Amino acid sequence: MASRLYQWIDQRLKLKPLEQTLLDEPIPGGASWNYVFGSATLFLFVLQALTGMFLMVYYVPATDHAYDTVQYIQHEVWGGWFVRGLHHWGASAVMVAIGLHMLQVFFDGAYKRPRELMWIVGVILLAIMLAFGFTGYLLPWDQNAYWATQVGINMVGNVPLIGDFLVKALRGGETLGALTISRFFAIHVAFLPVIIAVGIMLHLFILRRVGPAGPHDETRAKTGSETFYPRQVFLDAVVMLGVFGVVALLAISMEFPLADRADPSDHSFVPVPEWYFLFFYQLLKYAPGAWGPLATWLLPALFFTGLLLLPFLDRNPNRNPSSRPIVLGTGLGFLILVFSLLSISLRDLYAVPKRDPSVIRGMALVEHFNCKTCHRIHGEGVNVAPDLSFVADRRPDREWHLQHFKDPQSVSPGSFMPKFPLNEKQLNDLTNYILTLKSG
Amino acid sequence: MEDGLSTPVGTRRSFFVKSTVFISSLIGISLAVPLIGYVIAPALQRRNKEWVSLGKTEALPIGEPKAMDYTMTEKDGWQESHTTKGVWAVKQSNGEVTVFSPICPHLGCGYRWDQQDRLFKCPCHGSVYDINGTVKAGPAPRPLDTLPSKIENGDLLVQYEEYKSGLAKKVEL
Repeated sequence: MASRLYQWIDQRLKLKPLEQTLLDEPIPGGASWNYVFGSATLFLFVLQALTGMFLMVYYVPATDHAYDTVQYIQHEVWGGWFVRGLHHWGASAVMVAIGLHMLQVFFDGAYKRPRELMWIVGVILLAIMLAFGFTGYLLPWDQNAYWATQVGINMVGNVPLIGDFLVKALRGGETLGALTISRFFAIHVAFLPVIIAVGIMLHLFILRRVGPAGPHDETRAKTGSETFYPRQVFLDAVVMLGVFGVVALLAISMEFPLADRADPSDHSFVPVPEWYFLFFYQLLKYAPGAWGPLATWLLPALFFTGLLLLPFLDRNPNRNPSSRPIVLGTGLGFLILVFSLLSISLRDLYAVPKRDPSVIRGMALVEHFNCKTCHRIHGEGVNVAPDLSFVADRRPDREWHLQHFKDPQSVSPGSFMPKFPLNEKQLNDLTNYILTLKSG
Repeated sequence: MEDGLSTPVGTRRSFFVKSTVFISSLIGISLAVPLIGYVIAPALQRRNKEWVSLGKTEALPIGEPKAMDYTMTEKDGWQESHTTKGVWAVKQSNGEVTVFSPICPHLGCGYRWDQQDRLFKCPCHGSVYDINGTVKAGPAPRPLDTLPSKIENGDLLVQYEEYKSGLAKKVEL
């Protein structure tokens, strides 16, 4: 049935030659697991585009609604947490896939003549992907989104001469707010997708004009070739399934919770960038004094310039890794630097003590007894009774809180707080949580 | 040519082709199910019906229709809104109260009470009902729709529902 339909269409549209062009591309040295990274990246990009479109069904890019709509997606829409999880973990996965893809090209010397243009377009695609990550991070409008974007935009401000202008252009005004979120949204879902779609097509067009590089080992390359279809397509499909499985598993097992709603007045919040920016975040801690501002823009600029110029700096036509010690050594040095910085940064982040389970139970009790219908905690809830965001600064005394929960009026005469039916364990949990509400 | 360096043919080729189709379908289905469900689910969600108190029944006159406000909190996706609907309550001599939906079962207009003729009249297409909701004239296919109601501690509690118009039977939307 399907093949008869295909025949019918083929008789009219003459698809056979097109099919041959697309699928019968010869791969020198035959299909290989080495060549799956580009396809995996493309697959993840498509997954991002797809899940992104579906997130847009409910998402509203405005400061007064963005957070609510993401909460709605996460907690109320059927399967919403999964779609958002796929998009979140897919963003990380696409960075890993790009990294591996670039490493393979770098190791195999596939960026060399005549493939310089393919490499350059690839580097631009990397920059666009990072821009996707940066603009997407703001959209949930939680504390992390707000403050991490604040820091990211300020870094752009260090660029000499045009820095101030760039900052204003990015924000759409003097402050990070309604105009910022709407332009970040437009960039994230409309401008960048169009630009990257053109870039990907160009990348693939060059690939088809120049042909795949094949193995760096010339004797292996000369043993023959096979067409892209069906074996390379099959290998690509297996990897795509594996990648999808991993992303789906992460989405299912590691929910990505929202932080508090963005609160521009809460300067106590310490934002953390996405892990793929962490090494740079860590590096900036080591830039001394006056070098700091310079490092924020000069290092990325040097990095991208270096990548773009790589095919012209490394003019040795030999692709065999064993005869390119300097280039590969430099690459290895860079990787060691990046991963050391990343691991130091992760160690520092995880050195923050894990939350006591009792505190988490206490937090749940606050929701259960609807405490926020009177009290405000970090921007959430109503300000009828005292704001509890930093209550432990004012009242660090554990006994006082225990007594207060048992019988509010006994320690706070005239208080209109009701007595809640709490058992001993709940009293302890709630007090443990309350005592964590302090600055610093 | 050594194995692996030539394009596969025959059963080997068809193995790769079939496996690729199988894998693509697997990924496709595992994505399609959650994504379609995600879009459709809120559309299939039933409205959360709650009993809303319209006030004390003592205040209602016996045998006289009274327009009452039904105010409900509606969850509209991620927003909550308060909407008010006017419903008709008629207290019977035995103390029971009948509550009519304010929507004419013919084509969904709002009808009024004509005090002089003691009839409910719909201005759109001329349907006429008596105080019990029975059709007296016009194109209406069924009597006025009664809403679920009960009396608790003297309070009149009502659940707001909507029904398909134009049918001889009362079918909830």
